[in-house]
Amino acid sequence: MIGTQAGNRRGEGGSVPTVTYKDIRKRFGTFDALTGVSIDVYHGEVVCLIGPSGSGKSTLLRCTNGLETMDSGDIKLDGKSLPKNWNGMRSVRQRMGMVFQNFELFPHKTALGNVMSGPLSVLGKPRNQAEQRAMELLRKVGLADKANSYPAQLSGGQQQRVAIARALAMDPEIMLFDEPTSALDPETIGEVLNVMKQLAQEGMTMIVVTHEMTFARRVGNWIVVMDRGAIIEQGTPTQIFDAPQKERTREFLSHLGWSG
Amino acid sequence: MSYDWSVVWRNADVLWEGTKITVFLTVTTMVVAVPGGILLALMRLSRIKVLKAASVTFVEFFRNLPLILVIYTAYYILPVATGLRFSPITTAIVALSLNVSAYNGETFRAGIASIRKGQSEAGYALGMSRTRAMFEIVLPQAIRRVLPVLASTWVSLFKDTSLVSVISVGDLAFESMRVRSQTFRILEMLTAMAVIYWLLGYPQAKLVDWINKRSRVTE
Repeated sequence: MIGTQAGNRRGEGGSVPTVTYKDIRKRFGTFDALTGVSIDVYHGEVVCLIGPSGSGKSTLLRCTNGLETMDSGDIKLDGKSLPKNWNGMRSVRQRMGMVFQNFELFPHKTALGNVMSGPLSVLGKPRNQAEQRAMELLRKVGLADKANSYPAQLSGGQQQRVAIARALAMDPEIMLFDEPTSALDPETIGEVLNVMKQLAQEGMTMIVVTHEMTFARRVGNWIVVMDRGAIIEQGTPTQIFDAPQKERTREFLSHLGWSG
Repeated sequence: MSYDWSVVWRNADVLWEGTKITVFLTVTTMVVAVPGGILLALMRLSRIKVLKAASVTFVEFFRNLPLILVIYTAYYILPVATGLRFSPITTAIVALSLNVSAYNGETFRAGIASIRKGQSEAGYALGMSRTRAMFEIVLPQAIRRVLPVLASTWVSLFKDTSLVSVISVGDLAFESMRVRSQTFRILEMLTAMAVIYWLLGYPQAKLVDWINKRSRVTE
């Protein structure tokens, strides 16, 4: 109902959404992490999941590539439900890149080694081909000169850019970002957000869990506000940031010092 | 009481042979017990219950028995029970390897457990299988992390090999004791033995310290 108003939602009205979450539920012991969440993500769209900590955003993102299992509900990728078994999930994961809050670069490999690891060991690409592509990607994220550095020698922002390059090396159709800037020093947040913005401009489909409201507002096409495992409201950035319908959304945004 | 240190020089060749056996036992045991320990750790972390149980049983059994008992058992009981007869030195390597593999198994298990879950998840997110993520991502980091522990196991092993002298393996301890019983020069031979063990052991211990210091700055 809300989604049909503002019209700058890419792909809508076209065919099938790229990712569909339908009534996703997840419980950790007695804690309801997700209590029936439904979202559509269209091709080429940047969907930002925002909301207070513990609201289920990351859990939902991790269900998308099966790092977390859901108790019930259905996630469809290009109209097909995600496979239930591990091996089926492996092929789905190859189509989705994931960027973690703590980067999770492999500390025993160089930046180049990290970026090559997917193509080499999952796709079985020849070494020179993998290396050439990895160098291209490092250049793209502005770190060609750090190819032979180990993660410990890089700043947080540089590590996260390498992590983005590592995910892109698998040529994914969708990129998942799990609070990519939350562990960064303020001065390096910008360089990571710039890379993400560039990706968005190139038309990458992105699902981003973030606390960066400026990024969500400027780069996001669709904003989903979550709290306590449920969606408070979803809409275009204009709708959510300029005219939030729900009191809980207003509270959350004003808590972050968002003034519109 | 007068001392006759010439007994040491006169038997230098025997002591040298014994020293070579001691070093050989240490190296060979570790060559068996490092892969053995990794295998035990992987079995322990496996989702297949039988493998898990086998690993736990093995580790708890051999970790909690005195090494000398394992050596005696391997030497006297095993041939009778199995019909297999090994040379004393092979028996010694088997007994030492069983013991040290059990220790290494625990070491590697702890090392693997110390690697953040996010590391294997990053591998899975790229589409890696569990095995691939274990061997390419988790294990290399775990091995680096437990290097100091392995190094001190090595130094303990070097000294513990002296226990195999009870089954007539001609290591440094055995040869020293033999010269002693032939010449009755107990103080001279014990001193010689101590000096040789110490001179070989001290650099190893220093090496352990160095590895400890170096491996502190990872991640």
